[in-house]
Amino acid sequence: MKRESLFCVFLAVCLALLVLSTGCTEQQPAAQGGEVKIGVVASMTGAASTTGKDIWQSAELAAEEINAQGGVYVKELDKSVPIRLVQGDDESTREGGQKAVSKLITQDNVDIMVGGYSSAVVSAHQSIVAEYKVPYIISGGSSTSVSHRDDIDTSYMFFHRPNTDDSGEASVLFVDEIVRPAINSKFGFSQDRPLKVAVIYQDSPFGKGQLDAVKNVIKTRNMSIEVVAEEPFKMGESDFRTVLTSVKAKNPDMIYSVTFLNELVPLTQQARRDVGLNTLIMAIENNDDPDYYKGVGSYGDGQVMESRFSPYAVPKGSTEAATTQCLSNFDKKYGGFAGMMGAATYESVYIAKEAVENAGSLDKAKVKDALASLAMPQMMEIMKGGTIRFSPDFHESKFDLYVVQLSMDQASGEPRPEIVWPKILEAKEFVVPDWYTPGSS
Amino acid sequence: MDISIGILSQVAFWGLYSGCIYILLATGLNLIFGVMKIVNFAHGEFLMLGTYITFFFFVITGFNPYVLLIGSVPVLIVAGIIVERLCFRPILGTGKLNEIFISLGLIYIFQNLVAMIWTDEWRSMKSPFADITIALGPLQLPLDYLIIIVVTAVILIGFYFFLQKTAIGRAIRATSQNRKGAMLMGINVEKMDMLTFGIGAGLAGAAGTLWAVSGQVFNPYMGSIPAIKGFAIIILGGLGSIPGAIVGGLAIGMVENFTAFTLGGSWKDAVSFILLIVVLVVRPTGLFGEAEE
Repeated sequence: MKRESLFCVFLAVCLALLVLSTGCTEQQPAAQGGEVKIGVVASMTGAASTTGKDIWQSAELAAEEINAQGGVYVKELDKSVPIRLVQGDDESTREGGQKAVSKLITQDNVDIMVGGYSSAVVSAHQSIVAEYKVPYIISGGSSTSVSHRDDIDTSYMFFHRPNTDDSGEASVLFVDEIVRPAINSKFGFSQDRPLKVAVIYQDSPFGKGQLDAVKNVIKTRNMSIEVVAEEPFKMGESDFRTVLTSVKAKNPDMIYSVTFLNELVPLTQQARRDVGLNTLIMAIENNDDPDYYKGVGSYGDGQVMESRFSPYAVPKGSTEAATTQCLSNFDKKYGGFAGMMGAATYESVYIAKEAVENAGSLDKAKVKDALASLAMPQMMEIMKGGTIRFSPDFHESKFDLYVVQLSMDQASGEPRPEIVWPKILEAKEFVVPDWYTPGSS
Repeated sequence: MDISIGILSQVAFWGLYSGCIYILLATGLNLIFGVMKIVNFAHGEFLMLGTYITFFFFVITGFNPYVLLIGSVPVLIVAGIIVERLCFRPILGTGKLNEIFISLGLIYIFQNLVAMIWTDEWRSMKSPFADITIALGPLQLPLDYLIIIVVTAVILIGFYFFLQKTAIGRAIRATSQNRKGAMLMGINVEKMDMLTFGIGAGLAGAAGTLWAVSGQVFNPYMGSIPAIKGFAIIILGGLGSIPGAIVGGLAIGMVENFTAFTLGGSWKDAVSFILLIVVLVVRPTGLFGEAEE
């Protein structure tokens, strides 16, 4: 055999090993005598891989905690059984999500699924879930086009996240109540001067859903906010300079950004550093992640973000102890903190446990019914009424959302968030940053 | 919107920067195609490797990232030579399908290797000049971008003189123009293949270094889109034509940015490919390509 042929065989073997080693499903050891098999749909590779890893690790932590406490009691089996997680990497793509979910359902035979991040990816595999009728607790997919759709049977899907209407409303309320008066006051503008907002959004159901929600809230509440620019960008974009130049030409008072984590970091840096756009950037909750604070560095100073779970800004009150405990456990296990998507998935695993115990069975229809009638005390995220429950219409849980403002922490060299809205959770007052320049008056 | 000459010039400046990255990537791709006539879909992975090699050197040495070009480009040249020797040499002339599958396999190997070594988290690095912006009238010109444009120009001028004035450069050109003729003239075309592939990978590596230095984020899967654009550029400019790659790269950079400015960021890829289709309909050989006899 020629030497080149040997090299080719060697390369083929390497390729096969690499593909197998990275693409295989990670599993915890199988338990004897039954188990609750939970499929975790996470973007382990591709554009949203940072968030995907957070989702998977948080699910692992929750399962480990539950198993350490004896597992999940299943009345039908008359015993407690451990949770076994099965990873489904959606590769941050629609097709990848379809493959992952199909495999979880048909080959891994999972009892229940949790996770899901991008609305576009989740919407692409919903029909598979509908067909096979597997309970699915979705912690992402925030667009209402995902949870309010009526072209498929969504009765087995439960959304443990605020939808784009909820988060858009909270963000715009904050802008109207706090940001607009603060800017008008600081720069001597009349108090009825409308605030000019530019929306830079991911060209996806998630981004469009947020844009629609923002415009609807402004219109229905007759707010003194004017949307001066609507700038879409492709998912995974990392060069925002031209879009920001276009936005700058429209003289906005602030930017409302609808992005993934890996998009928000360059957007924020390029706005201030490259384009000289010294304006406030409001971000959305999915970016409240340690990797954002690490990545954005000093350019994040003064920026604001709507959130429901912040690794560095724990709200005082009933969720504080659980949050601190989870963050500590996560830090011990992985070295670092979970982000918001991780927290939602962590809770989703506990919700799955509660639903199986309430159903007393692993029968999927019974678990679905148990999820529909769930009333579970809130854990880390602050829920409406202090209880995790899914709305009867669209199976959505409802959150009390808040807004954080970042300021540089000299010790860590990274910005850190503090809650500035609503008043009941406020840790400090919102301040217009010194470097801020308003749009033309 | 207050559209002024200043704003349009600013967008053109961003286009020029994007074009520089594309030019380096496409020039290497076109050089390889011109000499070896192979289609390497894994070319974008050399750019990705360039970002990680630069990041790695930057973390361990703390040197100025532009100086690290001296380290990253040779590493990529060696990587290119190894890939050519192990993967493309054995299948040269056995059909395009083999080349395509080898290059697709290489994409997986490079992506997974990098993910195993550096994880697949998004990364970025900060140039020491990141906070320096030069105001030129209404233009905001970040120093890094000016340096990137100058570095690209220097690399291209150096590359031009290498091809025109050195014996190896002339041998590469001869191999590109007529492989059999070059062999008859005593040129070791296999050696030229190896060198060409190495230089092509090195140019992609330089593009990767400049990508990272400019503050753009990168992860192991980021090479695919630039590779597709690289192919679009060499088809637009003309297969095998280095001037075509330069003009095509600049054209795509400008068109993308002016499209993002006028129609929005989600249109920029679509309009770039519409431009490609229009050029191919009007001039099927590309802007600088010559019809085969």
